[in-house]
Amino acid sequence: MSHDLVIGMAGSGGDGIVSAGESLIAAAAGAGYAAIMTKSFGSQIRGGESSCRVRISTKPVLNPGGTLDVAVALNWDDFLKFGAELPVGGNTVVIYDAKTGVAPDKLPLGAVVPEEVYPVPIDALARQTAGTDKAKNTVILGLLAGWFGLAADDLLAGMRKKFAKKGPELVAANEKAFEAGRNYAAEHPLREPRFMEPAPPGEPKLLTDGNDMCAAAAIFAGCRFFGGYPITPSTEIMQFFTREVWRHGGAVLQAEDEIAGIGAALGASFGGVKAMTATSGPGMSLKSEIMGLATICELPLVIVNVQRGGPSTGLPTKSEQADLFQAALSAHGDVLRPVLAPVSVRDTFGVTVEAFNIAEQYQTPVIILSDQEIAQRKESCDPIDTRAFKLVDRLQPSAADLEKYVRFRFTESGISPVSAPGMPGGNYLGSGIEHNEHGDPTASGGMHAKMNEKRFRKLDPLKHRRDLFETYGDPRAPLALIAWGSVAGVCIEALERARQEGLRARLLVPKLLWPIAEEVYRDFFAGVQSGLVVEQSHQGQLYRLLRMQLDVPKGLQSFARSGANPFQPAEVVARLRETALAVQRQGAETLTPVE
Amino acid sequence: MNCQPKDYKSDLKPIWCPGCGDFGVVQAIYRALAAVGRPPHEIAFVSGIGCSSRIPGYTTAYGFNSVHGRALPIAQGLKIANPDLLVLCAGGDGDGFSIGGGHVAHAIRRNLDLTYIVMDNQIYGLTKGQLSPTSKLGLKTVTSDLGSLEAPVNPLLYVLSYGAPFVAQGTPADMAGLASVIEEAIRYPGFSFVNVQSPCVTFGEDDWQLKQHKAVMKSVASLGHDASDVIAAMRLAQAYGSELYTGVLYRAPQPPSTYDALVRERQAEQQKKALPRERILELFAAKKKETAA
Ligand SMILES: Cc1ncc(C[n+]2csc(CCOP(=O)(O)OP(=O)(O)O)c2C)c(N)n1
Ligand code: SF4
Ligand SMILES: [Mg+2]
Repeated sequence: MSHDLVIGMAGSGGDGIVSAGESLIAAAAGAGYAAIMTKSFGSQIRGGESSCRVRISTKPVLNPGGTLDVAVALNWDDFLKFGAELPVGGNTVVIYDAKTGVAPDKLPLGAVVPEEVYPVPIDALARQTAGTDKAKNTVILGLLAGWFGLAADDLLAGMRKKFAKKGPELVAANEKAFEAGRNYAAEHPLREPRFMEPAPPGEPKLLTDGNDMCAAAAIFAGCRFFGGYPITPSTEIMQFFTREVWRHGGAVLQAEDEIAGIGAALGASFGGVKAMTATSGPGMSLKSEIMGLATICELPLVIVNVQRGGPSTGLPTKSEQADLFQAALSAHGDVLRPVLAPVSVRDTFGVTVEAFNIAEQYQTPVIILSDQEIAQRKESCDPIDTRAFKLVDRLQPSAADLEKYVRFRFTESGISPVSAPGMPGGNYLGSGIEHNEHGDPTASGGMHAKMNEKRFRKLDPLKHRRDLFETYGDPRAPLALIAWGSVAGVCIEALERARQEGLRARLLVPKLLWPIAEEVYRDFFAGVQSGLVVEQSHQGQLYRLLRMQLDVPKGLQSFARSGANPFQPAEVVARLRETALAVQRQGAETLTPVE
Repeated sequence: MNCQPKDYKSDLKPIWCPGCGDFGVVQAIYRALAAVGRPPHEIAFVSGIGCSSRIPGYTTAYGFNSVHGRALPIAQGLKIANPDLLVLCAGGDGDGFSIGGGHVAHAIRRNLDLTYIVMDNQIYGLTKGQLSPTSKLGLKTVTSDLGSLEAPVNPLLYVLSYGAPFVAQGTPADMAGLASVIEEAIRYPGFSFVNVQSPCVTFGEDDWQLKQHKAVMKSVASLGHDASDVIAAMRLAQAYGSELYTGVLYRAPQPPSTYDALVRERQAEQQKKALPRERILELFAAKKKETAA
């Protein structure tokens, strides 16, 4: 029996591989499994090769997994184009279309020799049963259902729904193709059964991706205005708003460029409405100036950057974590701008709500650093109880405040009540020019220093937000891991595998990346001899920011590499083992008696 | 409400050079606002950066003196989020037709009910006298010592050709006329544009100051212009730079729907499908919850 299965499939654009993946994860979610699906395409706008990975598990899944348990190749050329994204190992069950004519012992997999290989007449079965090769993906679903016991009822139900609009003939044809796949599997049993254990009973799962989750969370948090400009891989956030926000009394503006997008969002926030914009690297670069305006005008604003590979156009469809410096530091003048990062689709909900709360509480722009991996992967995850979330609204002036309203009044907390146009007595000038308490422009150095101090001081409490960090593993282990964003889910699994191999380690997952919560890191570092900050970037940007802000343990190293290919738990474990060995060796050296 | 121009004047002392045309513009705005009669707290005044963009601070309205060139996007977001406000937007010729030039076309095609006033002095005032997008060909400035090699943008033709439904021009040399076109612009239900020839006494051309304006300005009404005729308006607009026409060049007789009105309509229609926000995640439910029969 299996409790965790990683399936990778590849084919040409028209083969419907991604659609099969969608059907699979929908059925898995319906049957109560946790799951993650990622997809990957060649660079053509349409057609070309496409692939997907679906990981299905009886327990929550945190990453798309490493080496495949099951590989499906409709043709080998396309499959091989995805190289590191679809790694095959000795234990992988390899299924491929017999039509390719490749002999099972002559697979083009280099040194890798999988033990179980099944050439299946996928194309032929599709033509015989459904009369078209378009049903190849349905045959594959039948094979997977047959061999791995994957939610056949849910798959069939999903298929009927999907084809219902296209007429009963198509439904019947696909049912036949599905059965053909299932029968083929029954007639050719695996060496050892690998049936999935049934999913444990529980509340129905949620099934969505990080972008939709982000937009839904924003609307939940009270966001009623979105201004933005389309850019991969963030556009689905705006698309969600265009479908949903109206009925909540809000609006969305597809602006003429990213500057106008964030400008309109800031205008809405000036108008007293919770607002957001979302973009990716190139758009983020354009938004810089208006983020500074939000800081000096002390207006709440949420900016989402779904990171992709950069600089410039870079790798628009691939994930990377190389925009942290930009998020934390890209500003002229003294700016402290909170940066948050979700670690999964499910976590994107809480992090987005938190971003709005921080923005409103402290009247500041807040950046959410998502990444392509989280934003575009689909997750079947546990439901979220929205009642558990408290929402914060900006501090409004009292009637007494409005009698002689002072917009930027110096207060103990640094937070001043903020009015909005329409509010009698609240009239003030918001200005990108430095201003005094009343909002009147000033060129006084003394006033500038006081205002800077106010704008920084009000954010001090953030540094004590331990709830924005997660820790895992053995809290006293001398070996440490730090990871953020989508890499965190890889490291949580790596930590568990390391434990099984007798390696004790602890893991810190910051969701608040900036400002650096010094206390939290110091406590975490107590007793740490060595460790790794694991990041998907060339420079290892969090590692460098940590070293800039605090004393890190001498043995803490950066384990960073450029984006595109996701980290895999196994490589983190391997590197962790090396790190541990290095410590042992050093320990041994200090033990060597001096002659 | 009985409003006086002084109700719209703030206590802030303008930083403008004595004699700057912008003094006249702000006076005209006080008068227009008093005539329209909305209380200051229901007015939001957004600007960019430049001498002219200081103007919101000199009014008692809610002001937003933002960044260079971005007044229009901010004003639009504000108006969409808060459609009951009277939204004014203002800035210089550089702010509106150079750095922010790309936003003008889109503000026009969206047609929100707001008024955009450009104080056109054909120069960069705040940064001390550089060439502006409306400076005339051959003009010598600190960034065109030997004379400009570029033809100017024609703001009037620019907005007319993008379909602006209300286009006017004025000068502080004709205070009553300027106040009245600004008032009309504010009252117009849609995107309204007023180009104000507002001379820069410090860096502007000596022979294009209020004195000269007074001598050459011609009201389009006195020419018998029909403001509902867009082609006639464009013909007049073509004389930008050689003639100083004042008054309303174009007023679309059938104002097209405004974006803000369409937003409200859509919200009202979609609110029939309203779902409490607490339930938004139901959109992602893998299976409908089985409710007990
Ligand atoms: C992004 C940016 N670029 C440049 C400037 C410098 N700057 C400020 S105002 C201005 C031009 C002002 O000219 P105009 O818009 O015509 O306004 P005026 O001062 O003439 O009223 C420039 C170039 C700036 N503030 N921001
Ligand atoms: S520099 Fe010119 S535009 Fe600026 S305030 Fe002085 S006169 Fe007016
Ligand atoms: Mg100017």
